[in-house]
Amino acid sequence: MVMLSDLLGYRLDDRRGARARLRDFAIDPEAGEYPTVTAAIAQRRGESPRVVPWGAVSPRWGERRLLVDDLERAQPLDVEEQRRAVLLERDVLDALVLDLEQRQAARANDLWLRDEAGKLALRGVDLSAWAILRRLGRGWLGRGAERRLLDWRQVEYLRGDPHGPAAPHHHPERVAALPPTQIARLSELIPYLHAAELLTRLEDALAADVLEAMATERQLQVFEELDEGLGARLLARMAPDVAADLLGRLEPEQAARCLEALPERRRSQVVDLLRYPDDTAGGIMTNEVVMAAGDARLGEARQQLAEALVAPDFVYYVYVVDDVGQRTLRGVLSLRDLLVGDERRRLDELMNPVLETLDPLASAARAARKVADAGLAALPVVARDGRLLGAVTFDAAMEQIAGAAWRQQAPRVFA
Amino acid sequence: MSVGTDISPAEPRAVDPGAASGPPRLEPRPKSLRSGLRLNIRGRPVTLRGIHAPPGGALRWLALLGPGLVAAIAGDDAGGIATYASVGAKLGYDLLWLLLLITPALAIVQETCARLGAATGRGLLDLVRERYGIGWAVFAVGVVLLANGGVLVTEFAGVGAAAELFGVSRLVAIPLAAAAVGFLVIAGSYTRVEKAFLAMALVFFAYPIAALLARPSWLEVARGALVPSLHLGGDGLALAVALLGTTITPYMQLFQQSSTVEKGVARRHYSGERIDAYAGAIFSNLVAGFIVIATAATLHARGATDIQSAADAAQALRPAAGDAATGLFAVGLLGASLLAAGVLPLATAYAASEAFGFRKGVELDFRRAPIFFGIFSALIVTGAAIALIPGVPLIALLVGVQVLNGVLLPVVLVFLMLLSADPLLMDGLRNSRLQTALGWGTVGLVGTAVALLLGTQLLGLLGIQVLGG
Repeated sequence: MVMLSDLLGYRLDDRRGARARLRDFAIDPEAGEYPTVTAAIAQRRGESPRVVPWGAVSPRWGERRLLVDDLERAQPLDVEEQRRAVLLERDVLDALVLDLEQRQAARANDLWLRDEAGKLALRGVDLSAWAILRRLGRGWLGRGAERRLLDWRQVEYLRGDPHGPAAPHHHPERVAALPPTQIARLSELIPYLHAAELLTRLEDALAADVLEAMATERQLQVFEELDEGLGARLLARMAPDVAADLLGRLEPEQAARCLEALPERRRSQVVDLLRYPDDTAGGIMTNEVVMAAGDARLGEARQQLAEALVAPDFVYYVYVVDDVGQRTLRGVLSLRDLLVGDERRRLDELMNPVLETLDPLASAARAARKVADAGLAALPVVARDGRLLGAVTFDAAMEQIAGAAWRQQAPRVFA
Repeated sequence: MSVGTDISPAEPRAVDPGAASGPPRLEPRPKSLRSGLRLNIRGRPVTLRGIHAPPGGALRWLALLGPGLVAAIAGDDAGGIATYASVGAKLGYDLLWLLLLITPALAIVQETCARLGAATGRGLLDLVRERYGIGWAVFAVGVVLLANGGVLVTEFAGVGAAAELFGVSRLVAIPLAAAAVGFLVIAGSYTRVEKAFLAMALVFFAYPIAALLARPSWLEVARGALVPSLHLGGDGLALAVALLGTTITPYMQLFQQSSTVEKGVARRHYSGERIDAYAGAIFSNLVAGFIVIATAATLHARGATDIQSAADAAQALRPAAGDAATGLFAVGLLGASLLAAGVLPLATAYAASEAFGFRKGVELDFRRAPIFFGIFSALIVTGAAIALIPGVPLIALLVGVQVLNGVLLPVVLVFLMLLSADPLLMDGLRNSRLQTALGWGTVGLVGTAVALLLGTQLLGLLGIQVLGG
């Protein structure tokens, strides 16, 4: 094994006695679990850097030098290649990487390479402070030890370029195995361009959940870096209230374009939410609520709702309306009422009256207080003509009351 | 899904409030509702009040102010005020032209930092570490730690001196100031800290008023600002160099970039943000100019030219411009020192956290960013503690710090110019030709000044006096 900082100090000779400085190593990031070195980048005095394919290099580990057939035959590294390539020293060493084991971001203080049957593979990263001292010590403090290394499979490396040429795909499945909130927290540890790049590597459904879980400011920064197509796909998969909040902070023209790109049903839901200023109850409600007609029998309602309950995020209450088209609110059933009641009875016999409702244009702060004081999972938002518009959940209320700190730390319990 | 939920405030009230279907109680609605934006979505016009229209008029410009103003104004700190005051006292209005000349230089440098921060989402030390390696990063962090620690002592000393002008003991004022600044940053969110810093910047309006009270000759002021003159003898050159060094200091660049990143300025919205950096540079140097004018009109005119500190200057103003001017100067000194006492340790904590990859941010708390807040608190506590020791050699400390900052500044500026010219990093926000020319011009100017400063200090150590005191 060899540390990159040490390897960069090796001599590079060809068989005819010519010498060059070892500048860097290009890797193939898609070469499997451990990326392999594809070429050494060598530079002779007064010349531009050249690419020496790793196949043409014979390492002499004991002598701390790399032997090449003929340096003259090496091709110069052109600008476009320089842009596209992933180089160990330039790009990966010293970069901020995600440590999936400790769930933190850390700087790659050194890289660990291993010669595996003629192939040089990137096996791990040294995140310890000792690696910094060792590098500054230029060999006086040893050349690195195998302990304290983090296996490369536990590392997520991002270039910070969401539109970059073919982003190197290491193993997004490891990040993807984490819960979305966890990924969102991780993405807040890295610059916003890196976070946007991370999203482009995840499946749409997961990316939407991650975006939803991000802090407000970060969500906007990241969203604006995504291609419009991807942005629209993610918006369509986000909860309508979160999507509306995000759209509300975009430039109006961009918001209009995003709205147009949404599927019909989701668009009308989001548009309905965007009708209210965000400092009103309507601005903090969700309109993805479950409704059922009062004259339905409990058994029928259970069957109908089994399908409806798959989609909405907020499922704690079933609001009983006199007619699903008119949506005049009559009462409310909790999920438990729905499950334990006698299935032959009508919903309007079993429902509880709605004692408190919110006006969509009442101030958000007052609405939030009412929800908190009611001690319920949500209060319905009702228009002045009695129509059910949506509900303000306990989570939304807490966000209003507790502010930024809550958003950062608390999970969304009900949605 | 029905979409018939167009609830406008003007809609008629519920027809039958007593009916079971009606809401039990009517909530008061906010008095003024945003008028909302009318958008055409798929051919259907809708009024969306949930979309934030960008604020118009003066409000729009005010909303942009933030990191740029704070970073630049933090340069008018206790040491800065002392330098400007002694420039005014010794040379009168004669160096005002230099201040005018370095205003665009400062503006360019600060704007480049903001642009680099927005374009990359990374702080200056993040980029130095990633692009130029561990050696430069460790060097920069080491110098920043020492230099900023040293300057911080002078800020707390400034708080103490200002408090004593009002009859409050420094033994009370300094610990109180340290606690206040520490509490603000550790317990506050980013927005709250930014607002508090901006509010402190209002204190600097004390200087224009003090300058007016000093009744300067505006004709002389105009001449000093427009006609370049350089005093090569005596303290002239040393003061000119000190003026340059105190106007552009590395912590201003570090803070500018890191807080632009933390503010969350994205590259797509950058174009408006440059106003902040420009406004900061102009305001900061205007304040400096008024300090020079105030002291030139009073102290220089009366021949009281030996000013060691900002508090000296405040006291020396009394006979010429009255108690009010002294009071204003002292208030300015207090505010300036407090502001810098917040900005300096923050810039340092940002720099160290960036270089070594620790979690950072005013928005976080001690539990989530222990090293960031650890560095911040350790600096505040040590800085205040040293400032409390009686007889600390503040002048010697300031000179040492100036040398350290002088060594670091050209390094920072060269990295800044190289990074902001990198097409891979900057994308559409790369330096324009004009920016490149002005930027490198600034590097040259600053480099020369620093070389002069270091040269005189070095010769001074060898016992040779070239440029006077």
